[in-house]
Amino acid sequence: MKAINLTVNGEAHKVFCPENITLLTLLREYLHLTGAKVGCAAGECGACTVIYNGKPVNSCMVLAMEAEGAVVETIEGEAKDGKVSPLQQAFIDNHALQCGFCTPGMIMSARALLDENPKPSRDDIIHAMEGNLCRCTGYEPIITAIEQAAGGVR
Amino acid sequence: MYTFLSPKTLEDARGFLKSYPNLKIIAGGTDLIIGLREGLFAPDAVMDIKQIPELAQIKQTDEGLEIGAAVTVSELLCSGHLSGAYNALKEAGLELANSLLRNRATLAGNICNASPGGDMLSASLVLDAWVETVTPEGGRKISLSDFFTGPKKHVLKPDEMVIKTVYPKHQGKSAYRKKKRIRGHDLAQVGVSGLLKGDGVLTLAFGACGPTPVLIGGFNTKTQSRAEILDAAMNGISPIGDVRASKEHRQEMARYLTEAVLDALEEVRK
Ligand SMILES: Cc1cc2nc3c(=O)[nH]c(=O)nc-3n(C[C@H](O)[C@H](O)[C@H](O)COP(=O)(O)OP(=O)(O)OC[C@H]3O[C@@H](n4cnc5c(N)ncnc54)[C@H](O)[C@@H]3O)c2cc1C
Ligand code: FES
Ligand code: FES
Repeated sequence: MKAINLTVNGEAHKVFCPENITLLTLLREYLHLTGAKVGCAAGECGACTVIYNGKPVNSCMVLAMEAEGAVVETIEGEAKDGKVSPLQQAFIDNHALQCGFCTPGMIMSARALLDENPKPSRDDIIHAMEGNLCRCTGYEPIITAIEQAAGGVR
Repeated sequence: MYTFLSPKTLEDARGFLKSYPNLKIIAGGTDLIIGLREGLFAPDAVMDIKQIPELAQIKQTDEGLEIGAAVTVSELLCSGHLSGAYNALKEAGLELANSLLRNRATLAGNICNASPGGDMLSASLVLDAWVETVTPEGGRKISLSDFFTGPKKHVLKPDEMVIKTVYPKHQGKSAYRKKKRIRGHDLAQVGVSGLLKGDGVLTLAFGACGPTPVLIGGFNTKTQSRAEILDAAMNGISPIGDVRASKEHRQEMARYLTEAVLDALEEVRK
């Protein structure tokens, strides 16, 4: 067991955990933030996407020990004061989710994109979302939702 | 269970390379973490090299473009250094996995993983790149044309670590073309890189067409026809069938993608 210090959704944490777990396991099993999902645990699906020091990454592809001092944002930080964000609302309005399993990852990739580029083109969106797989929606409603969210403010 | 090491200096890293004979380096971890999970290896220590400041640098020097071993593919693509003759490296970087993985995956990790289909490998070979390494006692330069020895095998010693990859300056154009099954989620079924210099000298390199990436140089577009170049290149590769593609499909794709590379390099007459 080793201690690791990191900030998640603005809150500082010191976590004692084994050296061989991933950031995804740390978030889910040690901080009980189960929004990031375990899909493939192999970098393929994007269900575990979080924003890591400002960049979207697969949290199953980061060791917890690498995250010393890191600033992490997860889906749990997206809604503010009990209200869903405009990005989340756009997903709801556009039926951009069915089973919802991919959605936390989708939203975090989209959030990272909009933070970096508030007015992305459709191509920018498709490019930024290429690591996130969805087996339900066929992607179109997701892209439309992000386009719509980019039209409004957070 | 391994010990996680996070040296802040190159000296500390060399110390760890000496004191832990069964150590694995983690750069982006996008190959290593999968290997750990699947039990392909059981190291005593995993050493993260991302806290060593020198390894995070990209520099233009008299020797050429130097890319530190902790530089991610995303950082490299955003650096603005991959113009002109380095274009193949940019096209290969954009083909490597997807934007999430590129935010972690490094160029040096792609090279050290030594998969024959790794996107940056053929591009690095045509650009005549070398790696610089350190060991507890010293270090060396290794040309990538001498680096790969088999699928996922290379000449690095267990206590040797790549610190940077260097691309000499070239006058000319380069390009990379890849065939894969799923955009953003697949190693190359075939990848082809080419560098055409101003004097008509052409170098080609092939990914996933043999046990290592294959470099075939010495073509001259001023004296050879396109058909001659294609035939000679196809004689130099030995693709096999595997989960990604059959041998026949790879042979066809290698020819097709070589034509696409030659088209991109324009001057190669038909
Ligand atoms: C879903 C998925 C899709 C992928 N798609 C592609 C693709 O399209 N194209 C492609 O080319 N690759 C692909 N990959 C493979 C991988 O992302 C790349 O090979 C990547 O560049 C590896 O870099 P890394 O920094 O993550 O390496 P790591 O995993 O950190 O390291 C890879 C290997 O090299 C060793 N190593 C790392 N750095 C050094 C060093 N400085 N000195 C000595 N040894 C070192 C490690 O010990 C390890 O054995 C994919 C991987 C996944 C999970
Ligand atoms: S769970 Fe991380 S990419 Fe699938
Ligand atoms: S909504 Fe079911 S996987 Fe995307």
